[in-house]
Amino acid sequence: MAVTAPAFETIAPPAASARKRRYTEDQVPLRKVIVRMIAGFIVLAIFVLPYVIMFFGSVKTKAQIRSVDPTYFPTEWHWENYVNMWSTPETPLPQNLISTIIISVFATLIVLLVAMPAAYYTARFKFPFRMVFLFLVIVTQMLQPAVLTSGLFRQFLAFDMIDTWAAMIFINAAFNLSFAVWIMHSFFAGIPKEVDEAAQIDGAGRLRVLFTISLPLVWPGIVTAIVFTFVACWNEFAASLVILSTAGNQPLSVALTKFVGQYETSWQYVFGVSIVAIVPVVILFMIIEKRLVGGLTAGSVK
Amino acid sequence: MKKSLRLGTAVALAATASLTLASCGFGGGSGDDEAGGKTTLDLLVPSYSDNTQGLWEDVIEGFEAENTDIDVKLEVQSWDNLETVIATKIQGGEAPDIYNGGPFAGFAADELLYPAEDVVSPDTFSDFQDSFIANAEVDGTAYALPLIASARALFVNNALLEQAGVTAPPTNWDELLDAATKVSALGGGIAGYGMPLGSEEAQAEAAVWLWGGGGTFGDATEITVDDPANLPGADQIKKMIDAGATQADPGSTDRSPLMDIFIQGKIGMQVGLPPTVGQIEENNPELDYSIVPIPTQDGSPMTVGVMDQLMAFENDGDKQDAITKFLDYYYTSDVYVPWVQAEGFLPVTKSGAEALSGEEALAPFLEVLPDAKFYPSTNPQWSATDAAFKALFGQLQTKPAQDVLTEIQAQADAG
Amino acid sequence: MSTTSDASPIQAGAADGRPRPGSGAPAKGGAAAPRPRGRDLLHALPWIGPALILIFGVVLFPAVVMFYNSTRDISQSGVDKGSVGLDNYIEVFNFPYFWPIFGRTIIWVVVVVVATVVISLGLAQILNKAFPGRRIVRLAVIIPWAASVVMTTMVVYYGLEPYFGIINKFLVDIGLVDTPEGYGWTRNPVTAFAWSIVVAIFVSLPFTTYTILAGLQTVPGEVLEAAKMDGAGPIRTYWGVVLPQLRSALAVAVLINIINVFNSLPILKVMTGSIPGYDADTIMTMIFKYIQNQHKVDVASALSVVAFVIVIVIVAVYVRVVKPMKEV
Repeated sequence: MAVTAPAFETIAPPAASARKRRYTEDQVPLRKVIVRMIAGFIVLAIFVLPYVIMFFGSVKTKAQIRSVDPTYFPTEWHWENYVNMWSTPETPLPQNLISTIIISVFATLIVLLVAMPAAYYTARFKFPFRMVFLFLVIVTQMLQPAVLTSGLFRQFLAFDMIDTWAAMIFINAAFNLSFAVWIMHSFFAGIPKEVDEAAQIDGAGRLRVLFTISLPLVWPGIVTAIVFTFVACWNEFAASLVILSTAGNQPLSVALTKFVGQYETSWQYVFGVSIVAIVPVVILFMIIEKRLVGGLTAGSVK
Repeated sequence: MKKSLRLGTAVALAATASLTLASCGFGGGSGDDEAGGKTTLDLLVPSYSDNTQGLWEDVIEGFEAENTDIDVKLEVQSWDNLETVIATKIQGGEAPDIYNGGPFAGFAADELLYPAEDVVSPDTFSDFQDSFIANAEVDGTAYALPLIASARALFVNNALLEQAGVTAPPTNWDELLDAATKVSALGGGIAGYGMPLGSEEAQAEAAVWLWGGGGTFGDATEITVDDPANLPGADQIKKMIDAGATQADPGSTDRSPLMDIFIQGKIGMQVGLPPTVGQIEENNPELDYSIVPIPTQDGSPMTVGVMDQLMAFENDGDKQDAITKFLDYYYTSDVYVPWVQAEGFLPVTKSGAEALSGEEALAPFLEVLPDAKFYPSTNPQWSATDAAFKALFGQLQTKPAQDVLTEIQAQADAG
Repeated sequence: MSTTSDASPIQAGAADGRPRPGSGAPAKGGAAAPRPRGRDLLHALPWIGPALILIFGVVLFPAVVMFYNSTRDISQSGVDKGSVGLDNYIEVFNFPYFWPIFGRTIIWVVVVVVATVVISLGLAQILNKAFPGRRIVRLAVIIPWAASVVMTTMVVYYGLEPYFGIINKFLVDIGLVDTPEGYGWTRNPVTAFAWSIVVAIFVSLPFTTYTILAGLQTVPGEVLEAAKMDGAGPIRTYWGVVLPQLRSALAVAVLINIINVFNSLPILKVMTGSIPGYDADTIMTMIFKYIQNQHKVDVASALSVVAFVIVIVIVAVYVRVVKPMKEV
């Protein structure tokens, strides 16, 4: 990576330019646009395909899903699966959804509040143990969830927090901290230092610099970290399984397993719940993606 | 270098601190037993079917109406996760009070369980069928309460056999091989015999064949998988596979999906159990099938019996009364019979057997039950043996029979 | 790059020739005699303190339990029977299939991570170009990330099943498989492992692509303009200007992928779960088998410690070579 330095040297700090241009040409020949659209469509098809199959499964009956003569498209559409799955005897799905949302939202908030300052500071300032800290953070990710659960259970038993959302919020926050710190760290580190320093010379405190100068510049990184954390919390399974014992407290990931019986499984609900579980994350992303695009079009320093 | 050294120091320091914490001993605490003067019973059960949660909720509702001072907290888990959850709870010193599971000898060996007679009244205890209670005994003391039983039998697709020119269902191995080969020859993705040696329930199909050839897995004191008596069965499995009498890849085919294929009429014969009847009724009532005893080497009757049980963990030892009340309530005929009937299994109590003796669907299984042989589940090593079968038995498809048996024995002994 | 960024000296006199000698007592002792390093650490604490509390409060104890359990004899029901020293480790290494499993783990990580990065670089380029419908395509790419890995794997697994599977049906219909019920992709170790790799790459793509995409936004337009004026073609611009700017984001994405893929259990668990023997296992599935099938929490803990050491070595080497942490 010897090329890095010289190439980087030539970059003028973003502050110097009034407006950053998109990394795309302004006038694109139609032929190119069509090629891009075709490429885009192929990408779309590949990424959506498994979930289309999942969706088709969710509107079939149990028997149709396990039919030995499968059809590409459902022959009958059993939309009632999407109604019935909220009141199955196996699991209280509405409560499971609420649990999942609460745990994921709060855990993500904690991660943001905790990781952002740490990422900013480690990217900007020198202090003893800085590398040790960054290493310690990443080490938390290298442990196997499957063997940690028994320790987690004992610990939260001692805290008298077994079967509570709070326990899962802290667990999720702690175990997802590291990637958020590292992702944001890499983005903060990507902003030329001069930007901050200029602001600090103007008399702004570190916090103000962080919020008014640095944050807008690293939105894409923060968005990536938020999505990453939220998704990880949303789908967490191993710890929830042992920490949350009341059916209503359990998140969707655990609730799904309730449809698996000893000899038969209600696949239509498993698929249906999976589809339902994807939707909030995609919505979150739709909201947040504008920020990502915002970083793209209006990435100038305010 | 310096970097890693420093990290090492930090980790070591932190580890020492936390180890002190660990050795001080977490766990053992027993949470919120006394919520408002009420006794709370934790009940951990696996999911047999989509009815399970509701059935238990009904039981609990009825019980709590009669015993207002006792709260029963139900936790249902899938079979896949059940043992992870129970192991975690035990390590944390928080075993459930009542647990529904399979292997129990390990818990008994660790002295975690109440003897069965301590947690049910004499009336309830004497209502259990003797053969089942015998299967719950370790050194003469029953540590588990029989809950449900099942026996296996051969499900035969009459139409396919007829089509292949087989006149009567097979009763011994030669006939089975012959019939299965003929059905397989029909082609079009049809398999003669459905043989599930995949990890899901390999020990059951293994028992069908090894025991059918006169073999055994061992007894309460010794596991004997690597025994010459088991070779004929293992060799016969290989013979079936080599003759193309089974579906493709039997070594890694799981039982449940294979049964779905049988139900839809693509498999000539497969070993099933009582709930299979209900599954056929629900998914393909038109299937023309019959249930016959499992063919054995010489045609002598044999079936694989499986019993699941309830067990009561001692924990602090202060909930014995509440547990007894709950179990006595559960095993009364009015509560137990509808429960076992809805799950589609065979009852384990005398009163239950009487009440269900007229059930047509259960008749073929009740008929073979006297010849049932059970897993050596009172041997503490059985759990390891069971795991070894699941993990290794399917290798019969590619490896010599003797090698596979030796490997299973070795893993069972190491467990 | 020099490594000065982290070279702020450690406590206990590990001074490294900075002008002022290091103080023996860092941080804690108030600001009585403020020395740069202690003060630096003090200044850092409010920023990194909450993270430390969270990590030490939640992660440390279970991690220690794991190390502790790896030296204990724990019965199948979970009762601690006392210390056995290193016996569990001996059992791990004496397991005849250990080294093949180890090798397979390395193949798994390398193939999945390399393929993921290469494909993601291409995907990010497509998603970064303006074209009608780009927003929809971007949303589609996020889905495998939003969906739980288990469920994505499950769908592929059922698609690949003989008799029921839609993928198998498709392969039969176009004549690639000639048995009418399809081929047992998930029934044979090699094909099951290969399909697991495909699924693992698929679910790793969204995160990696998005990290790269986000990194692309930080490439200043002026530089591209400048490169263009210098007469650099698109390929040279990409290698010379864009990639170096992506370096920081990419380096972290790769690191996260390495750890995630190494630790990934659900994909292999589902795809290879019904296969007997140990011919499709990685260290992760082996840990799972020790816990779930054999109920050996002690041996599983020992293997986890081994896995932990392996991944730490991999990451240490990676960090040393690639230096994903930028200079301060």
